[in-house]
Amino acid sequence: MSDDPKRQTIVPAGQSVAVRAPTSASMLVGAPVVRELLAFVIADETYALPLRSVREILKVPPITGVPRAPADVLGIISVRGRITTVRDLRRVLKMPEGPTEKHTRVLLVEAGDDEVIGLLVDRVLQVYRLDEDEVELAAVVGGDMSEHVMGVGRPRATTKRDEDGDAALGNEDILVLLDPGPLLRRS
Amino acid sequence: MSDVHDEFLAEAQEIIEALSRDLLFLDQAQKEGNVQPDLINEVFRGVHTLKGIAGMFGFQTLSAMAHTLEDLLDDLRLGRVQLSQEVLDVLFEGVEGFQRLLGEGADQEAVDVKDFAQSIERVSKKSGGGRATLEELDLDESVLAVLTEYEEHRLRTNVTQGTPLYRLRVRFSLTTIDSNLEELKERAKSIAEIITYLPSVGGGDGDEIDLDVLLASSAPANELGEVLAAGGEAELELIRRKGVRKTSHEALVPPPIPIESEPPRRPTPTSRPPAPVHTPAPPPKGAAGVPRDMSADALSLRSVANTVRVDIRKLDHLMNVVGELAIVRSAVARITERIRSRDDLRQLAIELHRVNRGFERHLEELQDGILDVRMVPLGQLFDKLARIIRQVAREHDKEVRLLVTGAETEVDKLIVEELSDPLMHLIRNAIDHGIESPKVRELAGKGSEGILSLNAYQKGNHVVLEIEDDGAGMNEEMLVQAAIRKGIISRDAAEEITSQDALELIFMPGFSTRSAITDLSGRGVGMDVVKTNINRLGGVVDVWSDHGSGTKFTITLPVTLAIISALLVRVAGRDFAIPITSVQEAILLDRTAVRTVEGREVISLRGATLPLCRLDHLFRLLPVQSDRRFVVVCAVGQRRVGFVVDGLDGQQDIVIKALGKSLRDVRGFAGATDLGDQRVALVLDAPGLLEEVLRSQELPSLGAEPS
Repeated sequence: MSDDPKRQTIVPAGQSVAVRAPTSASMLVGAPVVRELLAFVIADETYALPLRSVREILKVPPITGVPRAPADVLGIISVRGRITTVRDLRRVLKMPEGPTEKHTRVLLVEAGDDEVIGLLVDRVLQVYRLDEDEVELAAVVGGDMSEHVMGVGRPRATTKRDEDGDAALGNEDILVLLDPGPLLRRS
Repeated sequence: MSDVHDEFLAEAQEIIEALSRDLLFLDQAQKEGNVQPDLINEVFRGVHTLKGIAGMFGFQTLSAMAHTLEDLLDDLRLGRVQLSQEVLDVLFEGVEGFQRLLGEGADQEAVDVKDFAQSIERVSKKSGGGRATLEELDLDESVLAVLTEYEEHRLRTNVTQGTPLYRLRVRFSLTTIDSNLEELKERAKSIAEIITYLPSVGGGDGDEIDLDVLLASSAPANELGEVLAAGGEAELELIRRKGVRKTSHEALVPPPIPIESEPPRRPTPTSRPPAPVHTPAPPPKGAAGVPRDMSADALSLRSVANTVRVDIRKLDHLMNVVGELAIVRSAVARITERIRSRDDLRQLAIELHRVNRGFERHLEELQDGILDVRMVPLGQLFDKLARIIRQVAREHDKEVRLLVTGAETEVDKLIVEELSDPLMHLIRNAIDHGIESPKVRELAGKGSEGILSLNAYQKGNHVVLEIEDDGAGMNEEMLVQAAIRKGIISRDAAEEITSQDALELIFMPGFSTRSAITDLSGRGVGMDVVKTNINRLGGVVDVWSDHGSGTKFTITLPVTLAIISALLVRVAGRDFAIPITSVQEAILLDRTAVRTVEGREVISLRGATLPLCRLDHLFRLLPVQSDRRFVVVCAVGQRRVGFVVDGLDGQQDIVIKALGKSLRDVRGFAGATDLGDQRVALVLDAPGLLEEVLRSQELPSLGAEPS
């Protein structure tokens, strides 16, 4: 009964075309002031995806394993009749295995190329609206960041959109902003 | 013979669909009090054509039924029976009956034609009509032959109403005949209806002429005689009926004849009106088999001239051939690869590759083309539903207006057929549970007429169908309470249930909120079956409802689908489906019969060696302990492999759905299928696996698959 986020994050049908294959460059250079992000936890680290790339949040349904599939593929599920591939985000990000628990969720993410991929995450936190100055671009941060990392979000306490407070982050917490295109692309 | 038979079925179906559509228009027109005679004629012609072809193809029951209906339509056409909702009921019943008779075949007595004839009799009576034929009248054939349609109509009306008919013979002078006639009409007006007047046979000489005046009057004969004879000598004679027929003398005086419809006839023997050239009045019963309106038949032939009816099985066959071609294409691709590895033939390999690419493109086009042919507009289904809506609404004394959009949206023929039951159920629910009675609606400030909308539109690769009513909506609290009572959910779960989840409770097996079972719905077997059926089509159904203002079901379906028959098997605790076209047989595995040949397991099957492949091993799944295993013998061409599985779960029609693009490199699976209750099974690509297994046996050094 993860009703609220579910309701919030369903992308209206009319918009789905526009959000296909977002790229880090176009989103960050000259981007609008406010950026909406869905934050979630994997292996105690906080990540976020652009809200408009997340179609839906599901409780973990029975997953049918697919023999011979790539290692990060957990299997397939039927989402309203459409066969959807589910991938373990821990494995995608090369993190250690974790158990499936009460809060484990599947995010249905637009992966580009007209495909929606289910991503298993440990726990969904909340939606953030970040101003431009709360986001550090990957290019600016520099270093050896992966292609699928758009940058880092540092939400100020005041800009949080946190209704119930229990998922609030401290001032010093950061969000790793993921770019769904490169993240889910198969080489 | 069977081809001709199919041809008939298809054509009859077309006519029935058209009839059904026209009846709905008629229904609407009747409600608005604006019935177009053309529409009745259209229905009449349809039934007439149906009668004709049914008779021709030996569907005697259907033909007989069409015949009785034709009579009723004839009455309607000539205004003898007024179009009412009761009459429409019978007409709809008739079309329904045609449909049943077609479905059951020629010899079926599924529809009681006598019963139906009685229904017709009943409405004909009720509408003040009745079967009346003029041959029962003691009238000269030559008189009947020259009656205009209107005169005959009036004659029939009077016969039907049981008004006595008279023949009045009068003699007029040729010079004063016009004024004499006017006088006669004037006198008769208050007491009788003059149907026609004709020069009497053999009568008249010199400057006088005898006229036979045909009139109807319910006044006593002597009184009538007095009034009419006032102007001179006249001879009044009652026209008897041949058959003894009980008639009631209703005091209904038929309306006077409008003057303009009665052009005064030159009452001279020479100017006797010729037989009407066009549209003669319907000939008396018995002669009704003669097509009386050839143009109608011509029209129905023309309207289908530029379309071809195709048996869907033929298209399935074509589709299978395309599938075979795809296999050929990949074989060619493999050979190309092998040629390419030889330096001296590289150029040839490149050319072959190019040719094969072209082949692939055309193959895809062919496949798309066949799928396109399978598409039919949803309007066909909507028409059928509209009929049911009307019927259900009348049974429940509810006023329902149907609004349809997107009837032209096309969907695979098979989907349309499979959709019919679920949609029917949703619609019955909407009328039975959703739309309130007119009184309740008015109290709620709504129009007395409930609105039921059927909307269809295409959205990407899917078709969306909405069934929406502006009725009472669903009460979430009541749904939750009912679910708790029936043990579908626990009280705890009910505490935190969202309103959307509460609505979706209706899809749970065994859920029904009505304590009283109605004939339509409320048996609690409905909605979960609806959901299952739609899921089986690869579709989904969503519900939205607002208590007090209405309910909306949204069905999302794939535009096309490939339904195949598959054998469901279990391997290492998982479900897999094997297309039945590849399966030869399934046998119990006799372990003691397994031999090993060069490291491969084989068994002997009817004298031939069958290589075995343990699917759990092939798929690297953890084997489960099992006392009994089975061998599913798959064959492609002459080659066979026995796939060893843990269990057989029977045969089922499944819809193959493509795996997502991210899994397109995974070999061995043709797709996946929804087994319902959130279970998804992979569909094996049997030819691919077979080839893979055999190849790895022939060329063990090659390993699994060259990329």
